[in-house]
Amino acid sequence: MAKLIGGLGTSHVPSIGAALDKGLRDTPDWKAFFDGYIPGQEWVKRHKPDVAVVIFNDHGNTFFLDKVPTFAVGCAEEYRPVDEGWGPRAIAPFKGDVDFSWHFIDTLVENRFDPMICQEIEVDHGLQVPMELFWGKPDAWPVKVVPIFVNVIQYPIPLPSRCYEMGRVLRKAIESYDSDERFVILGTGGLSHQLQGARAGFVNPEADQAFLNDIADNPDKLAGMSREQYVEMFGSEGAELMMWLVMRGAMDPDVVVRHKHYFVPASMTGAGMIVMENRADAASAAAA
Amino acid sequence: MSKRPTIVLLPGLLCDASMWDAQRRALEPYADVRIGDFSQLDSIEAMARSALALADGPLVAIGHSMGARVAMEMVRLAPERITKLVLIDTGIDPRRDGEQEKRQELVDLAFAEGMKALADRWLPPMVHLERVADEALLAPLKDMVLRASPEQHQRQIKALLDRPNARLGLAQIACPTLVMVGRHDRWSPLAQHEEMAALIPEAELVVIEDSGHMSLVEQPEQVSQALLRFLGFGNKNDDTHGVATGREEPMDEEAAPDRIPDTPLFDRKRSLRGYRINKMAMGLGDPANREAFKQDESAYLDRFGLTPEEKDAVMTRNWQEMVRLGGNLFFILKISAVDPVRITEIGAHQAGMEHADFLRDRLGKK
Repeated sequence: MAKLIGGLGTSHVPSIGAALDKGLRDTPDWKAFFDGYIPGQEWVKRHKPDVAVVIFNDHGNTFFLDKVPTFAVGCAEEYRPVDEGWGPRAIAPFKGDVDFSWHFIDTLVENRFDPMICQEIEVDHGLQVPMELFWGKPDAWPVKVVPIFVNVIQYPIPLPSRCYEMGRVLRKAIESYDSDERFVILGTGGLSHQLQGARAGFVNPEADQAFLNDIADNPDKLAGMSREQYVEMFGSEGAELMMWLVMRGAMDPDVVVRHKHYFVPASMTGAGMIVMENRADAASAAAA
Repeated sequence: MSKRPTIVLLPGLLCDASMWDAQRRALEPYADVRIGDFSQLDSIEAMARSALALADGPLVAIGHSMGARVAMEMVRLAPERITKLVLIDTGIDPRRDGEQEKRQELVDLAFAEGMKALADRWLPPMVHLERVADEALLAPLKDMVLRASPEQHQRQIKALLDRPNARLGLAQIACPTLVMVGRHDRWSPLAQHEEMAALIPEAELVVIEDSGHMSLVEQPEQVSQALLRFLGFGNKNDDTHGVATGREEPMDEEAAPDRIPDTPLFDRKRSLRGYRINKMAMGLGDPANREAFKQDESAYLDRFGLTPEEKDAVMTRNWQEMVRLGGNLFFILKISAVDPVRITEIGAHQAGMEHADFLRDRLGKK
């Protein structure tokens, strides 16, 4: 059966991609931000996952307001970068994992989650940026992707606890998937930021730091928070953080944090990263 | 000439002025109130013409059920005269399959067995299911039906069966419109009114709690309060939470907009309000549209039917105003792909701050 080898969390701010495209990686605004991801990239190199399940939201690039799925799952052969207004970025198309995607969709529905099924869909910075942050910018991606789109824009957005529950079903799907592939799950979005209204520019570094601790040690608390609490604490767009709960819900209650990084501001956002493994796996690896 | 506005109240099938007692009393301190009489007419258009003839000049049209269809017809006939429109417990579609037969049955019943038999059959489904045995409510309604005749009923049924397809005109309604419905209206349900509110450009929806189709008399106070607020009378309820606005706002308090100060959540009201602006901006994901925007911005905006207010906000790059009009940053940000501006500048504009101050005070940049 397939195996879940790690849970990764990261921001997916579009300016990160733009900074890379413009060669700003080592400028004072960005160097510390990107350097903080190096341990995460090394973890990925060492563990060589075969499949990355990426939970993110579309930002008005693929879905318009005419049709807004609460949860959507990609099951395409390939996911191309979408034109967000600046022309499609020069990034290799992402290779899909059609078999697993369908298996996951089956498992979701059997467990009372009813997603939109997407056989042809483009992906925006919400998926691109996390992949670049952990895998760099290869000519061809060494890993297949399974995109999970969560509506965190058009209210009513889902409950944080629902995202957490979906993670449990994702774990079930991975562990019932007949394959020896190694999976990582990327929860993306956040951390604190607000783009609209007179409170635009709101960031909350203390809450962000606490979130990076709680996502590992106290995820039940994060899952039990209301949407309003997310917005209040992390800003209107910071509510994206609930998507990390899909990743966390797929992991064991007891995890080991391998790497963690926080930086503010990345553009207008508190940005963070985490790499976690299930403690049971970490222990058996140590014993071996 | 009085400066007070004129309001015309338009009753429904078999209904007369008595239906509007509570609302007439509530509105009379602020306006000249006239009430339509459609007992002798057999077409919606004729009813609309008779209502327009009740006053000269601008008026507010408030219709219930069939009367709301009359109100929509008044807008079609004389859009320049209707300053505000209120549509209560009504519908927009033309005759349905099988409707004629069902209605004819009641016409025949009234002629064969009299108006009392008609009242006994017709009235109960019109009120909240839990109120079908409420004599205090039903007795005056029965009296009203008994004041009508089988011939009046027959004429009005003819008018209803031949009603125009009001759906076609909704997008052209330019005046502020209040759509109101009893949450338990079994005759013209809530969903129908949600659709109407979505199709009318300047519409808001108010749900009357604990009410069936006869909201005017089932919940007179709620209806009157909503009217006073919508018409800006008395300032009794500047705050929309003072009336039962129902699902106009998200049901659960935790998602209610602006409960967190200066934090507009993209709820359905904003989504409906901003649909045109966001669709226009979404279009900029296409290079051909970006080119069109650059060549002739005004013409590009017209393609998406932006109102003058919306156009002005976009063309002056007034981000604060675009958001106020329902624009969502993820969509309208694409404007900055065509006409470059940093997102932190957009943020500073909304915060009402100088860019340098915004970077330092909000984002903690040195």
